[in-house]
Amino acid sequence: MPTKMIEVKNLQKKFKNNVVLKEITEHVDQGQVICVIGPSGAGKSTFLRCLNALEQPSSGQVLFEGQNLVGLDDKQLDQIRQKMGMVFQGFNLFPSMTVLKNIMIAPIKVKKTSAEDAKQTAMKLLAKVGLANKANQYPDQLSGGQKQRVAIARALAMDPAVMLFDEPTSALDPEMVEEVLKVMRDLADSGMTMVVVTHEMGFAKEVADQIWFMADGYIQETGQPDDFFDHPTSPRAQEFLKKILK
Amino acid sequence: MKHLKQLFMLFILCCSLVIPSTALAATNASSSSSSSSAVSSSSSNQAATDDSLQKIKQKGTLVVGMSADYPPYEFTTKKNGKTEYVGFEVDLAKQFAKDLGVKLVIKNMDFDSLLVALETGKIDTIISGMNVTNERKKSVDFSNTYYSGNSYFLINKADHDRFKKATDFKGKTVGAQNGTLQSTMIDKSMPGVKNKGLAKLSNLVIGLQSHKVDAVLMDEATAKAYAANNSNLVTFNSKLPSTAGDIAMAFPKGDKSLEAAANKTIKQVNDEDLINKQWIPQASKYMKSYKKQNTVLSYWRYFAKGVEYTLIITIVSVICGFILGTLFALMRLSKNKLLHSLAVCYIEFLRGTPMIVQIMFVYFGIGAVIQSMPALVAGIIAVSLNSGAYVAEIIRSGIQSIPVGQTEAARSLGMSKQTTFQEVIMPQALKNIWPALGNELITLLKDSSLVSVIGVSELMYQTQLVQSATYKGVLPLFITMLIYFVLTFTLSRILLHFERKMKHAH
Repeated sequence: MPTKMIEVKNLQKKFKNNVVLKEITEHVDQGQVICVIGPSGAGKSTFLRCLNALEQPSSGQVLFEGQNLVGLDDKQLDQIRQKMGMVFQGFNLFPSMTVLKNIMIAPIKVKKTSAEDAKQTAMKLLAKVGLANKANQYPDQLSGGQKQRVAIARALAMDPAVMLFDEPTSALDPEMVEEVLKVMRDLADSGMTMVVVTHEMGFAKEVADQIWFMADGYIQETGQPDDFFDHPTSPRAQEFLKKILK
Repeated sequence: MKHLKQLFMLFILCCSLVIPSTALAATNASSSSSSSSAVSSSSSNQAATDDSLQKIKQKGTLVVGMSADYPPYEFTTKKNGKTEYVGFEVDLAKQFAKDLGVKLVIKNMDFDSLLVALETGKIDTIISGMNVTNERKKSVDFSNTYYSGNSYFLINKADHDRFKKATDFKGKTVGAQNGTLQSTMIDKSMPGVKNKGLAKLSNLVIGLQSHKVDAVLMDEATAKAYAANNSNLVTFNSKLPSTAGDIAMAFPKGDKSLEAAANKTIKQVNDEDLINKQWIPQASKYMKSYKKQNTVLSYWRYFAKGVEYTLIITIVSVICGFILGTLFALMRLSKNKLLHSLAVCYIEFLRGTPMIVQIMFVYFGIGAVIQSMPALVAGIIAVSLNSGAYVAEIIRSGIQSIPVGQTEAARSLGMSKQTTFQEVIMPQALKNIWPALGNELITLLKDSSLVSVIGVSELMYQTQLVQSATYKGVLPLFITMLIYFVLTFTLSRILLHFERKMKHAH
């Protein structure tokens, strides 16, 4: 029996009168790669942001390593978020810092790592994402694909137990998508637990252990990639796949 | 709408909290003297039972308020590069302090601020050519008269043929110092004449020379002194009916024992006729002696001191204003409704009232509670509070200009709210608002000139001293303008340098 890393129970999220997540109960095992797919407006991003409490659920529970995140104060959340890396669609690099500083800042300020150690880790991670030569540049000197790879390195610098990806390639020019996906593929191969909201069906099919298909505020269907893509059972999934594979 | 209503209620609440407490404090402050007046007036036969005299002797200083631009009554002169107050009323004040056996401290301020200063306990007495009137008697007590004179018109020599008597000024403009007897006389006894009032007599005389006013009405001794010192000016007796031309010292109501001591000094001075025989001739000598070496540039020390104080006020206020501004910007952005409303009230109120009023309120209002607060501190407090409100809005706009993704990225890395603010948000916000902050800094430097109204010897105040000491109006102003410009220009260059540096770091 694999250990549950993230567990979601009866999760609901409302924005005023708009119910975005209606009723979600699921879990992510350690080492698992989950790809969350579905049409726009399905609530995929909101769901992902509930996992590290960037959004507070309206009701229900989100457990990380057995601890419920709902109702925790800011300090306790800061502790937990250190173990949950997040990569955003819009990169959100800190423009006033160099690439190196972007990666070093959280370990130094949050974990109180020494500047020397932080730098060593940062350079190692930069080498891993293939950007060691960009260490002293500023974010706006980089291409979109490079920025996203730095963002991944920045999240990894905190040595997280799980990585959350919120449409990491959606804002990229097509020719840059692959360089980011390659980094993510390597990460999955290394055994990292990952939850990826994505529109890259090829990547999902190839890398995911499980596909979660979301629509209308529910997870409509879960399954192995091959099963899901070849024999979707829910009508919403069939409709969705028909549209995108056309 | 609902929000607005809440805000309004809160505002009213704040006001009702602040106003009675300061008003109370003000009455408290004056009650130290008025309580004794209640005693003495209820038992009127015992006039000198209050402790005002004892208090002066205890603290060892007599603080005399005067408007020192009024030769030969009181004016400034230079002795070995130092400012010194001279004039026959200064001699009288010295005599009074000597008779009391205490040290004399002179507070120089605008004439129309003197009564407020006396009532709020900033000064112990006024010796400043103050005429005894029934209106003033309501708020202060007067000593016996030590001098009386007629009111004279000061006019340009070229107008000598046009203006020979008071009725010649029909349809013209005549100036008088605010709050003086002469100002009332123009309104009451000179129908059809426009009254031009200014706080400084020296500015009125400058106005006369540049034909902004056709005449200035002032008391005899002063008018004669001006005419004697400036060959382009002449003076003549107004012969206006005056309610009172008697000049006396003013005391807070009920300070009977101090008043009695003053009357003793005055009697002696009058008996020996010291004012006419000794002190006025002496004062005239000062006026003549600095007429010779009286170039504006020889007063460079005045300007230097002014620059020093202007810079002190600016630097301290900028730092305090920035701290206050950051605090209130965060409060305004806070989700806590109370903090938010407090910040909105502070910002809107401070931005919605004139700074000069705030400065005077802090000095006279809060100064009534904390008596020992020097004018410089009051000025810095007022300027800091004012600047804080503007800086708060600048910083708020700066913080709000940073995309929310920056906060999310930082928080998702486990950074606390505070670390996020310090390391991620503020550095970016600062860069965005740098030009606006720079503007505020330059505005603050210029606005610090307003502090001159409460007698802080910053650049503008010093300029006025030079003006009244040299009898020249425009040149000192021009020099001051140049100094301000050099200061602001240098400052804006420095700011630009840092702005460029921040851009290069990109």
